[in-house]
Amino acid sequence: MSVPAAEVRARPALSGGWSVGLRRLLGPDYRMGYLFVTPIALLVLSLVAYPFCYAIYLSMTYKLVGVPPVFVGFENYVRLTWDGFFQRAVINSFVFTFGSVGFKLVLGVVMALVLTSPIRWRSFWTGVLLIPWVAPTVVSALNFLWIFDGSLGVLNYLLVRVFHVLPQGVGWLSEPRTAMASVVAVNIWRGFPFFGISFLAGMKAIPAELYEAAAVDGASMLQRFRHVTLPGIRNIMIIVVLLSTIWTFNDFQIVYILTKGGPGGMTMVMPVLTYETAFGAQRLGEAIAVALYLLPALAVTIMVLARYMRKGRQR
Amino acid sequence: MRGRAAGVVERTVAYAVLTTLAILVLFPFYWMTVTSFKSEEQMRSLVSMFWPKPFATENYGQLLTKTEFTSWYGNSVFVAVSSTLLATAVGTLGAYALARLKFLGRGFMASATLITYLVPPSILFIPLYKQMQALGMANSLSGLIAAYPSFTVPFVTWLLMGYFESIPEELEEAAMIDGATRFGAFYRIVLPLSAPGVLAAGLYAFTQAWNEFLYALVFITDGRLRTLPVGLASFITGDVYGWGYLMSGAVLTTLPVIAAYIYLQKYMVDGLTAGGVKG
Repeated sequence: MSVPAAEVRARPALSGGWSVGLRRLLGPDYRMGYLFVTPIALLVLSLVAYPFCYAIYLSMTYKLVGVPPVFVGFENYVRLTWDGFFQRAVINSFVFTFGSVGFKLVLGVVMALVLTSPIRWRSFWTGVLLIPWVAPTVVSALNFLWIFDGSLGVLNYLLVRVFHVLPQGVGWLSEPRTAMASVVAVNIWRGFPFFGISFLAGMKAIPAELYEAAAVDGASMLQRFRHVTLPGIRNIMIIVVLLSTIWTFNDFQIVYILTKGGPGGMTMVMPVLTYETAFGAQRLGEAIAVALYLLPALAVTIMVLARYMRKGRQR
Repeated sequence: MRGRAAGVVERTVAYAVLTTLAILVLFPFYWMTVTSFKSEEQMRSLVSMFWPKPFATENYGQLLTKTEFTSWYGNSVFVAVSSTLLATAVGTLGAYALARLKFLGRGFMASATLITYLVPPSILFIPLYKQMQALGMANSLSGLIAAYPSFTVPFVTWLLMGYFESIPEELEEAAMIDGATRFGAFYRIVLPLSAPGVLAAGLYAFTQAWNEFLYALVFITDGRLRTLPVGLASFITGDVYGWGYLMSGAVLTTLPVIAAYIYLQKYMVDGLTAGGVKG
């Protein structure tokens, strides 16, 4: 970028020898730029980059709480690979993540579609539907823990006594058949509004002429959705699905509060296993190996996602 | 008229779907509030299920006098407000630099900030905990205030970068032609114009800090120093859950977030759609 003439004129004092060279090398706004960016750089280094590298090191050690770490290379990873409980946790994490994200995607599209249709009080409805996204997740998880309660929970009350759908109550979170579906349902409940609001923004940005042109060509509502709406929000969809995949895969609170991974490991996902290994079993090295086990996949996802997010901005 | 009939059908379907979704979304909060006003007796005998008769306020009394709830409330306010102020200040400056200023390394820093935003806490909480221990900040609120910027700052920065980019550059150039410095242009022109964006970003940072659970669970071992989410969750570790006072605590924890949200909904929705993702 060339230096705007106005700027040079505004600060004639700076156009002496040294600073001209520096400005050419580091860019016209380098002083204010570095000044403003330094706090972020320090935070990123000390709160993310350093802990991240430290995590990789610790995952290659045998480390009990209170004892200095002993370097063991990839031993933790190798041991985990053949550990049946860990394997189950990996599978559970994938089931939890893709089950949740799939439903959130569908519900999000539905939410965006109804919010773009000609309704009254649009911002009221938008506001109501966004509440699960702003409410504290712990509160929501506790609410569902109470709703799902086997003996006094309102879900059983509704299904058994009010609607007579079930002959007797179900221990939603304590029975192996229903536990995973229940925690997935709570994750969907909490996460779908984010999908909806993002798709809504994308749909609003689609020019009305495209829909009019499609209508003139005789396209049905379904065809317009298929050929105008979906391509129009394609990029947002990719971004939101990838973001939510990362968030859901690493979601700790919902599962920790609802089941702690039970019954019998049926809902044990990797973040909860990390926590339990670190603070239950006190094996820190192994715990971090659990957290970092799928790092290559996470890194690829983050890189792809970051590209899409930056591309989305540059337009 | 075919078109109008289709419109009526479409609207009816839309309202039906909206009502269903709204019931699903609101029911847990309705249920939480109803429960908080029920006595233990009412709950156990499954009477007056959907509207407490009579209204019992004993849960709130118990919560406020017999538990450490009020200390937790104070802790949460202190941690969330401090880390929000920190994140908003640092994030605003950084976002402006990354969105507008021209200097070597800008692109790299922008990518680094974004990637930082995407790194999940579940892989950072153990090393961060060790780090806080080494600094003597584990088991103290200052440890949380120090750690929360790891997710609030990248988020605020990313959100505001989008906001600053949407403000026409000509405004600043005009100000600088009139003799303003680069900083003056930022401080007097851009900052006032982006007040709604900064407010939205700050509110999101506040919500994130207020709702944070994992770091607070791991870092804090002293019962009195807990934040609200961890404190509430600690009610369920006993054998007998006091659902009544747990739900009254849940109501009081949700209130500030929902109140801020209702009051500033427009800013928050616009902020999220403008800065969160844009395609």
